[in-house]
Amino acid sequence: MSELKPRFSPAVSPVEVRKSVLSMLHRSKASHLGSNMSAIEILMAIYSSVDCIKIRNNEPDRSRVLVSKGHCAAATYATMAAFGIIPSSALETYHLNGSTLTGHVNHMVDGVEHSTGALGHGINVAVGCALGLRARGFPDRPVFAMVGDGELQEGSIWEAIMFTSHMNLSNLVILVDNNGISSITETEKVIDMRPITSRFRGFGMETRQVDGHNLSEIIGAIQSIQGSGRPGVIVCDTIKGRDIPFAERQPIWHYRSLTDQQYSEALVHLEKLENKE
Amino acid sequence: MRTQILEVLFQRMRTNTDVFFLNADMGINLVERFGESYPHRYANVGIAEQNLISISAGLCNLGFRPFAYTISNFLIHRCFEQIRNDIALHDYPVTLLGTSTGFDNAPLGPTHHIVDDWGSLKSIPGIDIYCPSSVTYAEQLIDQILKEGRPAYVRIPKGEYAEPTSTLNYVIIEGESKGVVLVSYGSLVQTCLEARRQDPSISVLVVNRLHPLESKELAEILAPYKRVMVVEDHFPITGLYGSVCEIFVQHGLRGRLESAAPTGYCFDVGTSSDYFLNKFGLDATGLLRRLRE
Repeated sequence: MSELKPRFSPAVSPVEVRKSVLSMLHRSKASHLGSNMSAIEILMAIYSSVDCIKIRNNEPDRSRVLVSKGHCAAATYATMAAFGIIPSSALETYHLNGSTLTGHVNHMVDGVEHSTGALGHGINVAVGCALGLRARGFPDRPVFAMVGDGELQEGSIWEAIMFTSHMNLSNLVILVDNNGISSITETEKVIDMRPITSRFRGFGMETRQVDGHNLSEIIGAIQSIQGSGRPGVIVCDTIKGRDIPFAERQPIWHYRSLTDQQYSEALVHLEKLENKE
Repeated sequence: MRTQILEVLFQRMRTNTDVFFLNADMGINLVERFGESYPHRYANVGIAEQNLISISAGLCNLGFRPFAYTISNFLIHRCFEQIRNDIALHDYPVTLLGTSTGFDNAPLGPTHHIVDDWGSLKSIPGIDIYCPSSVTYAEQLIDQILKEGRPAYVRIPKGEYAEPTSTLNYVIIEGESKGVVLVSYGSLVQTCLEARRQDPSISVLVVNRLHPLESKELAEILAPYKRVMVVEDHFPITGLYGSVCEIFVQHGLRGRLESAAPTGYCFDVGTSSDYFLNKFGLDATGLLRRLRE
């Protein structure tokens, strides 16, 4: 456990987290590469905005982070490791026999608040956490929920939003990983929700729209929402499969696992990006 | 019995600051005082049952003991995934308070008949299921649940029954012989007691906690009887009949086991539950007729 040094800023860059995720997915032949790559900066922005020491120590007044699109488990675990919440050695067990690091986020992993996997749950649990923090006397302690743009098709999402707005749960910030691809095809071809921000504004939420691969832009939007005194939604425009050239914007990479050759090809590309930084 | 249960719960909100009361816009003239007295531990989430369950789970993350209230027919089936994933998988001590059982809402039609609720929940490990048969049992139930600290469903029948005056999870009211025992729960216990008044040889086994059952103890009670009839306002395969079948197999009981229960959904109007109880032979006359067969 000595390697654990929780911090407010990550020890590594998004590209390095991508390399971790790529390795995790390849080692275990796991799927969901597309979403895991699109969500990395969002997750890093969230963990940059909370006290990771409190999360690691499971303190009652810690901020809550709910990953409603639970299939971003690899990215979540890799980001948690980057912030010192879980040991990076745990990542090597992802998706393998006997590990608690399942393919959808698992509350048996220290620091994971809630197991998700069926969509349209995590955001509602986040609402309960926000309400509970208020009732416990911590009304300003933030709660973050990350959802997918395809996930917005779940009706329970809108139950959560209506209640949040009505109760003015101003400690809740929802981040939409707007990668434009639902499960098997482009989100706009399934249910066209554009412009997403106006849907949320219609329910009384504060909204922002940012480049979801620009860490400082997302963090700025979080701070802006938190200063508004209202619960908010940040629509983060992302690319599914970001920085994996053959997987970008390709729906099949929700399901496919990496061959050795594809892994090598992707790794070479990420290392080039790393050298440019 | 919901009045008594909510009264005890209201009292416990004063003494136990972990108790949180939520409803899905139900309980007129019953729930308002919870919000007035304890606004920070009360929420009417609106007509949004999925949210009711998941918010309750989120409150457990903060150490609260949520009681989620609405009518049973909306509480269970619509939210099955929320109950499974957000409550049961996390072993969160949410108490589902469902009002109405069986044909309590008789004329409202099959969407409001509660004949397949608790059997669905029985399939999920770790949820305690209660159906109080009397005010005496109902009044102590909140304290029992708070002490147990597990996920729970309370199926609350309409009506306020003084008998049986037991606070136990099950109680046997012995007849004059070991010929027949009726096994029942909730408001149908009253029907069984009426049958027993007409034929004092009949015994009645009252089950207040439907799941899990004290299997060994119940097997010992049932073993001497020649005939065991499970009387319920719920489909039998997933209901108590199914559970008693398990007990028979596990413990090698040899009596005649049969079911008195609804056999399917009903699309006809009954102005009260009496209509459907008569239809399925679940009134005292019907039970005695079955026993003559």
